Amino acid sequence: MTDAASPAPPARVRVWDVPTRLTHWLVVLLVVFSWWTADTSRMEWHRWSGYTLLGLVIFRIYWGFAGSSTARFSQFVRGPRAIAGYLKGRWNAVPGHNPLGALSAVLLLALLFAQVALGLFAVDVDGIESGPLSTYVSFEAGRAAAEWHETVFNLLTGFIALHVAAVIYYVFIGKQPLVAAMVHGKRAFPEPQPPSVRSASVLRLLIGVVLAAGLTWMVTRAFQF
Amino acid sequence: MPRHLFRSFVVVALVIPVVHAATPLETQKARHEHYEELGKAFKAVRDQSNASTPDFAALQKNAEVVNEASVNQQQWFPKGTGPEAGKTRALPEIWSKPADFEAAQKMFSDRAPKLLAAAKAKDIDAVKAAFKETGGSCKNCHDTFRSPEE
Repeated sequence: MTDAASPAPPARVRVWDVPTRLTHWLVVLLVVFSWWTADTSRMEWHRWSGYTLLGLVIFRIYWGFAGSSTARFSQFVRGPRAIAGYLKGRWNAVPGHNPLGALSAVLLLALLFAQVALGLFAVDVDGIESGPLSTYVSFEAGRAAAEWHETVFNLLTGFIALHVAAVIYYVFIGKQPLVAAMVHGKRAFPEPQPPSVRSASVLRLLIGVVLAAGLTWMVTRAFQF
Repeated sequence: MPRHLFRSFVVVALVIPVVHAATPLETQKARHEHYEELGKAFKAVRDQSNASTPDFAALQKNAEVVNEASVNQQQWFPKGTGPEAGKTRALPEIWSKPADFEAAQKMFSDRAPKLLAAAKAKDIDAVKAAFKETGGSCKNCHDTFRSPEE
């Protein structure tokens, strides 16, 4: 990327904090794992994978309100005018999602939440395998949830494909190392450099982890103790 | 209408449904409904076995449905009710490997009584274990004799 003729590479700015990156890549792993376990009827593992994803989604939503600056919804969710402006090139690169990427992030998070929630109520055709909350719904409703679980899976994979295609476009055509930034958290910006991500305190992180783990545990027990 | 004529009409009307044999399609439909009932009963057993305060009457009622189905299902697959008769997930192997199919069905009818016994004994841990065992016999048969979901 750099050669002798170019000026010294600009210093890198921290864009994503560790919890945001870790959540992202764990979601990637577990979505693939959930797919595989469902495809090969490993339902015990499929449930565990889904529970972990539920915890991650809860944590990510919490982090969207209480987390680091670039993880917060208030920092990146913007209206149609900002998105149109971005598409016309009126946008100063700052750490975090661009207005269009923000749409992708919110949509994927919402679909993931819907997918996990449907799985919690789903019942298989034999009444043998089921999500923990299916105990609150009829067999028919559980079957409907299972069918929606499949539909939303197709939607989710479609939008994941779009997300990956967009990232590939940015990396190879736009020459923006987005994947590397999501791995090590840093990215170079032209001068004047924007400020780095503002981290959230360890206490906030702990609260989020306890909240996500606690809520997930209660769901897996179907709120019966 | 003379009385005896009316009577013979009634007799004929009562006898016709008994004499009339189910068509293969009707058998398939009835079979599908039987298994749906079984699925519902299975879900009910699972729901109660996971509840903090299980309803043992409901548990026992549904374990009985499962137990009866485990015996009755041996009659649900007459010859000619496979894919050749209509849309079904029942695979031709059911009729081409009758000994294997019978063994798979027997596994279910051997295990279901244990589920019922555990429900009657109100032993929730035994119910959970028997549910797993019985469910395993369902899966065992489905793996070989039922086509995968589309």
